[in-house]
Amino acid sequence: MRLSFLNAERRTLMPVHRSRREPTVAELLLIILEGAWSIVVGLYVTFINFWRTKVTDRYPHRDPALNWQPRPGYRGDFALITDRETGKLRCIGCQQCQNICPDGCILVVPEGKGKERHPKEFYIDAGLCMYCGLCVEVCPADALTMTPDYETATDDPRKLVRDIDYLRERGMEYDEVLRVQ
Amino acid sequence: MSLLSQISNWLRLTAEGLCQRWGIPLLFVDLLAWMVAVAVIIGLVLLIVLIFVYLERKVSGYIQTRLGPMRVGPIGIFQTAMDALKLLIKEDIVPRGADKILHTLGPILFFVAAMLGYVVIPWDDKAIIAKYVDLNIGILYVTAVGSVGIIGIIMGGWGSNNKWSLLGAIRSAAQMISYEVPMLLAIICVVMQAESMSLGRIVTGQQGAYLSGWYCWRPWLWLPLILFFIAATAEVNRVPFDIPEAESELVAGYHTEYSGMKFALFFLAEYANVFVVGLIGATLFFGGWLSPLGHPDPLHIPGFFWLMAKAFAIVIFLMWIRWTLPRLRVDQLMALAWKLLLPAGFLAIFIVAVVLLYI
Amino acid sequence: MTTETRTRTEELTINMGPQHPSTHGVLRLVVTLDGERVVQVIPDIGYLHSSMEKIAERLTYQQYLPYADRYDYLNAMGNELAYVMAVEKLLGIEPTPRCQFIRVMMAEMNRIASHLVYFATLGNDVGAVSVFLYCFREREAILDLFEAASGQRLLYHYLRIGGLRNDLPDDFCAGLGHFLSYFPSRIDEYDKLLTKNRIFRSRMEGVGHFSAEDALSYGVTGPCLRGCGTDYDIRRADPYCVYPQLDFTVPTFEECDAMARHLVRQEEMRQSVRILQQCLEMLPEGDVSVKVPRRIKPDPGEAYARVESPRGELGCYIVSDGSEKPYRLHWRAPSFYNLQAYPVMCKDAWVADLVAILGSVDIVLGDVDR
Repeated sequence: MRLSFLNAERRTLMPVHRSRREPTVAELLLIILEGAWSIVVGLYVTFINFWRTKVTDRYPHRDPALNWQPRPGYRGDFALITDRETGKLRCIGCQQCQNICPDGCILVVPEGKGKERHPKEFYIDAGLCMYCGLCVEVCPADALTMTPDYETATDDPRKLVRDIDYLRERGMEYDEVLRVQ
Repeated sequence: MSLLSQISNWLRLTAEGLCQRWGIPLLFVDLLAWMVAVAVIIGLVLLIVLIFVYLERKVSGYIQTRLGPMRVGPIGIFQTAMDALKLLIKEDIVPRGADKILHTLGPILFFVAAMLGYVVIPWDDKAIIAKYVDLNIGILYVTAVGSVGIIGIIMGGWGSNNKWSLLGAIRSAAQMISYEVPMLLAIICVVMQAESMSLGRIVTGQQGAYLSGWYCWRPWLWLPLILFFIAATAEVNRVPFDIPEAESELVAGYHTEYSGMKFALFFLAEYANVFVVGLIGATLFFGGWLSPLGHPDPLHIPGFFWLMAKAFAIVIFLMWIRWTLPRLRVDQLMALAWKLLLPAGFLAIFIVAVVLLYI
Repeated sequence: MTTETRTRTEELTINMGPQHPSTHGVLRLVVTLDGERVVQVIPDIGYLHSSMEKIAERLTYQQYLPYADRYDYLNAMGNELAYVMAVEKLLGIEPTPRCQFIRVMMAEMNRIASHLVYFATLGNDVGAVSVFLYCFREREAILDLFEAASGQRLLYHYLRIGGLRNDLPDDFCAGLGHFLSYFPSRIDEYDKLLTKNRIFRSRMEGVGHFSAEDALSYGVTGPCLRGCGTDYDIRRADPYCVYPQLDFTVPTFEECDAMARHLVRQEEMRQSVRILQQCLEMLPEGDVSVKVPRRIKPDPGEAYARVESPRGELGCYIVSDGSEKPYRLHWRAPSFYNLQAYPVMCKDAWVADLVAILGSVDIVLGDVDR
C-alpha cells in the first residue's frame, strides 16, 4: 500500500535522513497515532489560549485600560511651543527644519531681524510628512515638537496642512519638547 | 407525549375543527401543517445560522486572544444580524461573461439542498416535519439531498466565468463525492446496530438508563464515530478540509464572484450544512433528543432542547478544530479519503458485523 | 481490441496576484496549471517600485536615513544598520560600545519581529489562522519596545550616523527582560501548534526542493540557504558590530525543502533570544553617540556594508563623490535574489504548494522592488 502523503520520519532539530521506502502497517499505525496526538496537542494549545487575557485594543474607547496610549516621545502630530500667557512662539524662524526635511513638507516664512526674528507663516503638510523627526532634532531653539496625537485623519487632504495658528494652538499644551525618557 | 407534539396536536385539532365547520377538505389541513412546519423550521434554521456565525466569530476571537465582535448590541450579539441585513441590501453583481442563469441558480440550489436535510430530523419524540412519515430511509435521504448541493456549487463555479471559482468548484465536487463514501460506510455501521434507516428508530434504539444507551459508548462504534466526523467535516468544507474555498490559495473558491444575497445564500447554506452535521451526529451517536437525565426526562425538559444542546456542542467542537488546524492539500485530501478512510470504513463495517453476529 | 478514450485537456493560465490574499503584497505570479499541477510560474515584480536608490541621489546622508526604513518595512532596524554602517565606513567613524550593543539588540529584536510575521503569514497561507494572531500578539510586544525607544512602531528612524537618536528609555531593559522571559515558551507553543502538526508537516516536507548548488548559483542567502545545509551567515562570515563577542549558533538543516527553511527560522528566533539575553547582561554604560559634523561630506570613495537581515544578506553600497549627497546608492536586497529561485522551487508543485513555498521563502515586496 502506497501512502506517500504519510512519509514516515521523525524530525529532530538535527539533520535526519529521509526514509523513501513505504511504511509498514505497524509504522503506518504509529504515524496515524502520532498525527492524531499532534492534533490533540494543537487543540490543547488553542484551548489554553482561549482562556488567556484578551489583547484586543478597543480603539475608539478613551479608557487607557482598554486602549493603547502612545509613549512619551511618540512621533505624532506637530506643535510649536508657545508661551501660554503672551502667546509668543519660541520659534526663531531659522528655517533649519525646512532645509533638513527630506520630503520638503515644511515652509517657514520668517519676519524681523536679530532677536525679533520670528516666523510670519509656518506650514507643515502632515499629509506629505513621513514623521522622521529630523526637523525636531535639528531645531536650535527647541521650538518644534511632535506630540503623541496620532489621530490626524480627515476627509479633506487640505486640512492636513498645518498652519501657524494650528501649530500655536497645539503648542499651548506643551512646555517643552517631548522626548523619549 | 412531548410538549412539541402536544402543541402541534392541539393546533391540528383546532384546524381540523375549523375545516369541518367551513367545509374545507381535510387535505388542506395537511398541506397547511406542512407549510407551517417548513416555515417554522426554515426560520429556526436561519436564526440558528445567525447564532452560529456569531458564535464562530466569538469562539475564533477567544481562541486567538481577541474579543470578537463587540460593537453592535451588548457584546456584539446583533453583529451577524446586521451583517445579514447588509448583505440583503448590497448590490448583486454578475460578472461580465458569466452565465446568468447558472450564476443565479447555483446558490439557490445549494441553499435548497441544505434546507431539505432538515425535513427528516427528529426534533423530539414524534416531532418530525414529515408528519406521518418518520421516513424509513431517513438517513439515506439526508446524505442523498446533501450531495445535491454539489451541483449548486458547480453551477456557481462554472457560471461565474472565473478560473478561481472553477477550480474551487471542481475541488469541491471531487472532495464531496470522495468523502461521501466513508461517511456512508460509517453510517451503515450505525444502521446495522439500529437495524433501521429511520432516524426516529435510530434514536429510540439508543434508549437506556440515563445516557448509557447512546451508541457513542459502544466500543465497536468508535471507529465509525471518528470516520463519520472526519468525513462529515469534509462534506461541509470546513478546515482542515476547506480546500474548495481555501482563501489563501483560491481567493474564495466557488463564491469568489458572488455578492449580496447570493453570497448570503451560499454562506447561510454552508452553516446550515454544518448544523445538519451536528444534528445528524447527535442523532446517530449521542442519542438525538433523548435526555441524559433518563427517559422520560424527570425535569420535563423537551427533547428538542437536548438535541439542540448536543448539536451545538458538536458544532462548537468543529469550530475549535477549525481554528486549530491547517488545511490539507488536494492530493493529500484524496489520499486520505480513498487510501485511509475507505479501508477503515470497511474495517469498521466488518468489526460491527462480527460484534453484532457473535456478541 | 482496446478502446482508447482521449480527453482533450488544456493548460490553464491564471494570474495569482497582484491582488491575491497570499502573495504577501503586490506580487503577480503568472501560473500555468495542468489541472492542479503547476507547469510554470513566472513572478512579475515591480508593482511596489519606489525608486529607493534614485531618491538617495538627491538627499543628503542624514536625510536618506528615514528612507532606508521604508523599503524592507519588516526589517527597518536592519536596513538602517546597513546604511549607517556603510556611511560610517566612508567617514571612518567608530561608534561607541554601548551604541554597538544597542544596535545589535535592535537588529535582533527586529529579526524576531520579522520571523514572527513570517510564521504568521505562513500559518495563514496553509490555513492555520490562529497562529497568525498569536504571532502578531508577540510582535506587538516587540513593537511596544521599539516605540518606547524610538517613538515609532514600524519605521523607527532610530539609528543615526555615528550613534543613535537617543539612549534607551529607563524601563526598556526591564521590558525586554520580561519579554525574553516568556517568549521562548511561546515559541514552544508555535512549535506544538504548527511545526509539529502532522498536516502542516505533510504540507511542508519535501515541498519546494532546492539544492545547495542551485541556491549558491542563484545568490540565495539567509534562511533559504541555511535550509539547504550551507552554513553561511553574515554574522559569522563577516562579523560586524559586537557579534564576535556573542555566543550563538547558526542553525542549518540539510533537507532543502520548505520545512527546513521553516525550522531554520524557528531556531533562529531562539538564537536571537539568546543573543538578546547576552546583550542585556553585557550592555556597557557610556555615551551612545560620537560627534559627527553637521554637514556630512565623506571623501570620494565607495563603501559596502552588509548585515544579516531576516531574509539574507542585506548590503548597502554607497559611492561618494565628495559632496553632501551620495553619488550612487545600491541595496543588495535579499528578497530579490530569493524570489529568483522561486520558479525553480515550484517545479512539479501543486497549486496549494505555491503559497506554502512562497511563504517559506519569506519575501517582502518592498525589498524585492525597492
